[in-house]
Amino acid sequence: MTTLVRPPRIGTKTPLVDGIEKVTGRAKFTADLPAADALVGKILRSPVAHGLLRSVDTSAAERLPGVVAVVTGDDCAVPFGVLPIARTEYPLAREKVRYRGEPVAAVAAVDEETALEALKLIVLEIEPLPVYVDPAKARAADAVLLHDNKPNNIERAVHSAFGDLEAGLAAADLVRKRRFSFAEVNHAHLEPNATLAEYDPERGWLTLHSTTQVPYYVHLTVAQCLEMDTSRVRVIKPFLGGGFGARTEALGFEVIAALLARKAGGTVRLLLSREETFLCHRGRPQADIVLELGMMRDGRLTACVAECTQRGGAYAGYGIITILYAGALLHGLYDIPAIKYDGWRVYTNTPPCGAMRGHGTVDMRAAFEALLDEMAEELGLDPFEVRRRNLLTAPTTTLMAQKVMSYGLGECLDRVEQASGWKERRKSMPPGRGLGLACSHFVSGTSTPKHWTGEPHAVINLKLDFDGGVTVLTGASDIGQGSSTIAAQVVGEVLGCDLGRIRVVSTDSALTPKDNGSYSSRVTFMVGNAAIAAAETLKRILVEAAAKKLEAAPEDIECGDEVFRVVHAQEPGQDSGLSFGDVVREALIDTGTITVKGTFTCPKEFQGDKAIRGSAIGASMGFSYAAQVAEVSVDPVTAKVTVHKVWVAADVGRALNPLAVEGQVQGAVWMGLGQALSEETRFDDGRGLATNLLDYRVPTMAESPDVAVFIVESIDPNGPFGAKEASEGALAGAVGAVMNAVAAATGVRPTATPLTPDRVADLMDAKERQAAAKGSTP
Amino acid sequence: MHDPNVRASGARVRKKSVLALTLNGRAREDFVADGMLLVDYLREVAGLTGTKQGCDGGECGACTVLVDDRPRLACSTLAHQVAGRRVETIEGLARNGRMSRLQQMFHEKLGAQCGFCTPGMIMAAEALLRRDPDPTPERIRQALAGNLCRCTGYVKIVEAVRAAAETPVGSEGAR
Amino acid sequence: MTLMPAFRLHRPDTLAEAVAALAETPGGKPLAGGTDLLVNIRRGMADPPALVDLTNVGGLDDLVVSEAGLRLGATVTLAHIAEDEGIRAGWPALAAAAEAVAGPTHREAATLAGNLCQETRCIFVNQSEWWRAGNGFCLKIEGDVCHVVKKSLRCYAVYAGDVAPVLMVLGAEAEILGPAGTRRLALASFFHEEGRSHLALAPGEIVTAVHVPPPNGAVAGYAKVRVREAIDFPLAGVAVALRREGDRLASVTVALTGVASAPVLVPGLDRLAGTTWSEDSAKTLTDAVRKSCNAVKTTVTTPNYRRRVAAASAVRLAGDLWAAAGEGNAS
Repeated sequence: MTTLVRPPRIGTKTPLVDGIEKVTGRAKFTADLPAADALVGKILRSPVAHGLLRSVDTSAAERLPGVVAVVTGDDCAVPFGVLPIARTEYPLAREKVRYRGEPVAAVAAVDEETALEALKLIVLEIEPLPVYVDPAKARAADAVLLHDNKPNNIERAVHSAFGDLEAGLAAADLVRKRRFSFAEVNHAHLEPNATLAEYDPERGWLTLHSTTQVPYYVHLTVAQCLEMDTSRVRVIKPFLGGGFGARTEALGFEVIAALLARKAGGTVRLLLSREETFLCHRGRPQADIVLELGMMRDGRLTACVAECTQRGGAYAGYGIITILYAGALLHGLYDIPAIKYDGWRVYTNTPPCGAMRGHGTVDMRAAFEALLDEMAEELGLDPFEVRRRNLLTAPTTTLMAQKVMSYGLGECLDRVEQASGWKERRKSMPPGRGLGLACSHFVSGTSTPKHWTGEPHAVINLKLDFDGGVTVLTGASDIGQGSSTIAAQVVGEVLGCDLGRIRVVSTDSALTPKDNGSYSSRVTFMVGNAAIAAAETLKRILVEAAAKKLEAAPEDIECGDEVFRVVHAQEPGQDSGLSFGDVVREALIDTGTITVKGTFTCPKEFQGDKAIRGSAIGASMGFSYAAQVAEVSVDPVTAKVTVHKVWVAADVGRALNPLAVEGQVQGAVWMGLGQALSEETRFDDGRGLATNLLDYRVPTMAESPDVAVFIVESIDPNGPFGAKEASEGALAGAVGAVMNAVAAATGVRPTATPLTPDRVADLMDAKERQAAAKGSTP
Repeated sequence: MHDPNVRASGARVRKKSVLALTLNGRAREDFVADGMLLVDYLREVAGLTGTKQGCDGGECGACTVLVDDRPRLACSTLAHQVAGRRVETIEGLARNGRMSRLQQMFHEKLGAQCGFCTPGMIMAAEALLRRDPDPTPERIRQALAGNLCRCTGYVKIVEAVRAAAETPVGSEGAR
Repeated sequence: MTLMPAFRLHRPDTLAEAVAALAETPGGKPLAGGTDLLVNIRRGMADPPALVDLTNVGGLDDLVVSEAGLRLGATVTLAHIAEDEGIRAGWPALAAAAEAVAGPTHREAATLAGNLCQETRCIFVNQSEWWRAGNGFCLKIEGDVCHVVKKSLRCYAVYAGDVAPVLMVLGAEAEILGPAGTRRLALASFFHEEGRSHLALAPGEIVTAVHVPPPNGAVAGYAKVRVREAIDFPLAGVAVALRREGDRLASVTVALTGVASAPVLVPGLDRLAGTTWSEDSAKTLTDAVRKSCNAVKTTVTTPNYRRRVAAASAVRLAGDLWAAAGEGNAS
């Protein structure tokens, strides 16, 4: 492992390298880009949730003066989808519409008014079909199929079993089985979706600026749907207002913008409203979970049987991955000798679900942590104790072939137990107030890219020129998580140079190396390692140059704090060393501008086991761990849950930027709190009811608690400087911790989220009725 | 009888008139449609894109600007309603290219992650500090409760505003 | 960029000009803070030919505290009401209700009259034009069916203002100016329980001020139930004013919001006068409140919960006020 320079660039709280633009208003997001001559793009969406699209008559719209281009499903017959095995979606519906809000036609016009007028002139003829919002109804034998090749509207069924389940259940002193239901939630990233598409008909070139976490996927998808050569496409990601997974697949609107620009032969600005942004969805699916656990009297887990049904929405998206993850991450947190998992991803007439922070694991983990707590209570065990009984010992390999190389969960438990005052305070809580504990984990990048190309998993380019400036060229999308800052820190650490010398240029396919994108918390781990590799190569060049100038052997050169010296210099003249600039000038002699590359590839042994079907999902080089305690109170009159404080400890391997780690962990916990307490998409017969930020209740500052973060550093052997991911692992625990805290506060165990006042009131009523019934029977 | 506000087609005429105001300290006049929202005037006419639009109905606070020192949702205000008033946006806070103390603290304390809510958040915080230079964390949480942030969980935003309150006025840029 | 419908904007300096401008354009609407009206216009829920901006009208935002009580101009902002020392001292329930509205930046712009006269709301109404058109519109706007109560001939859109119920229990009156001159109307008579026409204002009339009598020994409070502590409209809101004389309840008035198409003054509480606050009183109040709720599925939260929590909140608030008034007597 590379040793750290003094003072280290990593491990110190570092403000974001692009932070000044953000606080001064200079940061240009997609909608902020100059587009004086751009046409206005608008999308016509299906008012029907399920139907046969008989005709789309655009003739009147095309005749309207000021309308430059109109596109429909006829303009693109190539389906897209993030998974090469599940390309089910057209940018504009063809033959069928499958959710209310699905794009059917789009226009580009000289102004807003003309574009809107044109939409009104388009006549749709749709023959309605039965609408399925409830997965059970979609699965009914007589249900109309959303996609003809998927019987019973089941997109994917997943079955896996590891270990001796029967023996595990037989050995258990306590077996409990519970049913849980988690509402669908949405990312609600604050920047609405937008694309600026420029088509140059002379060259046949298309340039897109878009709100994406994975410009590479947008690049591939647009080229594929427009049947263009990828070399004629350029994708740039400007500043991006959050993503949380919503933008990890190319979305229909991006293709629509490209189709309009090409047809118009110009520039089209397509800005989606908040409602339309909600209609693109890709959020965490509603999930029905049945979970059964076996436990010994001392708390050891003997078996886990889990079923999960996800309401996937109208198209595949990432769905297959989501349903696999829900089972795969039953492994890797605790030591469980037998695990069986059955999952069903169901097509429904709702906006397609996709990846959302904590992809696939969150609901299953919350259910698991809730049932674990219930069983611990039944056995008279402390929630901390029961978790400590089931810890893994790293390094280890799970039943599903995941390699756990570092594991700080035990220390996480210690930290939050102490910080929350658990032992002293738990028993002395006043009525209506309680503490709840939960643990969670997540991958530091999926080890197998969705598009298998044989390329490295991450590439970083560095350019060093006459000015002594180091330019980091990265395709990694900074979506607010601070990936550009990490890249700069890592390069600065290796080179021992000032961060002011380093500039990061990111996410422009014409300039920066391809990156697989910001998803599955892969960037710090993979891009960080690639950055180390690149910087090491550059450092070698500089050291050799310094050695030449100082007439010493390269292995005798040390560099730090921008000075290159000979170790144990004999001659006095060598003592002062060479400045960074001097060494750069020396290094450029005869070669000129230096460009180097660093790459990173996850070794095969971390990519799952070919013998275990589905084990590519959930395979990762490093797992982050978190434990957290939430303190809540429940109002006896309104049944409203208030979270007063959360203590969370996160094992992130090593905190390269502790400031960003804290921010990521706080954000993850808080997003989990939103899911636990207030957030929920809602549908009435396929009509989205909460497609705005009033009815979709993202928590405000007023009711959001302080979140105290404790960083645990287990120093992963493969992570860059030992680092693992920091932004997803803690989310699921927040949901479980709140459920357990509400149980402690009310004496009744919640099995559904969000825990809105009406739901909690129903729970408390049920408990009272039960108590009354018990009281009346002798 | 011919109604001058209605076109022959029956469509109503979009009337424009002169809007004079002070924007980030500079007096300006523009010819602006009666129905134009302040946020669109700032972004499309004045070219100040720091002010963001994140929702369809005034629920997110990203468009918060100052009108005569008080916070205002630019997406729920007509441009002409601020005629003759003093309007400030995020672009107007820095002095000679140096960040204001709030901007500096949002940067240093990571009060901004993706940065989309940040301009509105900082303007709401600026309004608070102008009226209450030393607000408690609780008061900050109340005063900024109309500004949604999806990244930070708000913890570091509250810290940033507190840190700005503790930074003496005039020490901006002194690091 | 939001394309707003075409309308004339009038920015009068005097009330006379404002009323004249409204009279000149039938269907024109008064505009102040814009936090309700402009949002509705953006969603295509209103398409007035003219807006008359009242924010420049001199004196309309005066706030006067005197022995005769409180006179609040129509365009006094909710932030002003919430912060005013005189109101916080004499009518703290009013300050609390104003402070409970939406978010802090809304309250800087939102005005008293705007809050009182805010549109009724429904999940089938407060949606984009595309959303409503695809749904065949509804009784409230452009359509002829109700999606909440099938076959209904009336609109059940819910009134969700926080300030009105407090003003009702405080015995406030609205001062109204129209083409026919000025009139005063008790807040209790200002609303109709109909989602489409919930205000007792004739065409061209505007609210110019609200008069609140001195508290006269009564204590009052406002309890708002919502999921988030800011931005949200009330799932239910309860205002209570009571007068305690020793161990007797001299009078109690309760008004509700968020549970019907108008704020509701709960009837049938006279029988509590002269009694001591007790579990029986709580039961009486619970029954009366539940009976007054006309909550249907106009929000994403169940009507059952809204009824239940309205009653429970009223009981808690009344109990707290009873106790507080007792302490006041003792001191």
